[in-house]
Amino acid sequence: MKPIENTENFVRRGKAKVTTGPRMDKRVLDDSFAAMDKTLGANKTNAARMILRSRLARLAAAAVIIVAVGLLMVYRAPVPPPPPRTTSVAKSPAEMLTAMSLNLAWRRGGIEAVDEQTSKAFEMLGSQSATVSIHELLAESNGV
Amino acid sequence: MIDEKILVWKFNRGSKDALRRLYEKYKDDLLGLAVTLLRDRSLAEDVVHDVFVSFARTTGRFVLSGTLKGYLSTCVANCARDKNRLRSSKDVGLDAAENIESDSGNPVKCAAGCEQARTLQDLLGRLPYEQREIIALHLHQEMRFREIAEALGISINTVQSRYRYGLEKLRSILNSAVTK
Repeated sequence: MKPIENTENFVRRGKAKVTTGPRMDKRVLDDSFAAMDKTLGANKTNAARMILRSRLARLAAAAVIIVAVGLLMVYRAPVPPPPPRTTSVAKSPAEMLTAMSLNLAWRRGGIEAVDEQTSKAFEMLGSQSATVSIHELLAESNGV
Repeated sequence: MIDEKILVWKFNRGSKDALRRLYEKYKDDLLGLAVTLLRDRSLAEDVVHDVFVSFARTTGRFVLSGTLKGYLSTCVANCARDKNRLRSSKDVGLDAAENIESDSGNPVKCAAGCEQARTLQDLLGRLPYEQREIIALHLHQEMRFREIAEALGISINTVQSRYRYGLEKLRSILNSAVTK
C-alpha cells in the first residue's frame, strides 16, 4: 500500500463521531420550524409573486388576460346603425331621375340608393314599344 | 436516495416531520464535520444551527441537485469558513472530546478509536484551514473532487492540489511524531 493511501485510511478511520445533545436538537428544530412557518406564511400571502415565479404560470396568466380583453372588446363593440331606408319622395319617373333627386338619393344612401331609385324609375316606366314617338316618350317622362 | 427525495418533496410541501427526519438523519455527521473544521464544539453547533435554519427557509422552493448530504456538507463548510474568519486566530481546543465515540462495541477498541479520533483532530488542526476543509469533505463526507470544486467555487486542480499537499503534510507530521 502506498504511504498516501495509509494516510487516507488513517484519516477515514479517525473520523470523529460527535453526537448532538437534546438541548441543541430542541434549539435547532424550534428555530427551523419557526423559519419554516414564516416562509410558508409569506408564500401564502403573496399569490401574485408565486404566479410570477413560474414561467408556465406567467404564460397562462397572460393568455387568460388576453382572452378576457378580446371577449370584452367583441361583446362591448358598438353595433353599426342600420342604413336608412331609401324613401322615394318623387312621384314620377321624371322627377326621380332629375339631378336634384339623384343628388338627394346619393346623400341618403350612396350609390345603392341612386341605383335603387333609378331602377324604380325605370320599373315605373315599364317596357316601351320600339315605335313610340319622341313626343309620347317625353310626355310620359314628364308625367304630363 | 428515493427516501431522501420523498422527504425533500414533503419538506417542500411544508412538512415539519420531514424536516425533523432530515435533521435526525444528518445532524451528527454535519456536527462532526463542523467540529473537524472549527475544532470548537459551541461554534460547530452554531454552524449546524444556522445551516438548518437557512435550509428551513428554502421550503417550497428547494431544488435538490445531487445529494442532500453533499448540499448540507457544503453549507456547513461555507458557514464554518465564515465563522473561522470571524473568530480570533488562537487555536481553540476540542471541548467535545468527551463526546467522541467509536463505532466499535469493544471497550478496548472503543478507547483506541477515541484516542485515534482525538489524535487525528489534533493533527488536522495543524493543517491550514483550506487543506483541512478539502480532506474532511473528501474523506469524511465522501464528496468527490468535482463536487467539492463546484460547491466551493474553485477549480478541480486547486482542490486536488490542496488535498495532496494536506495529506503530504499530515504524513510528515505523523512520521515526525513516530521518529521522536
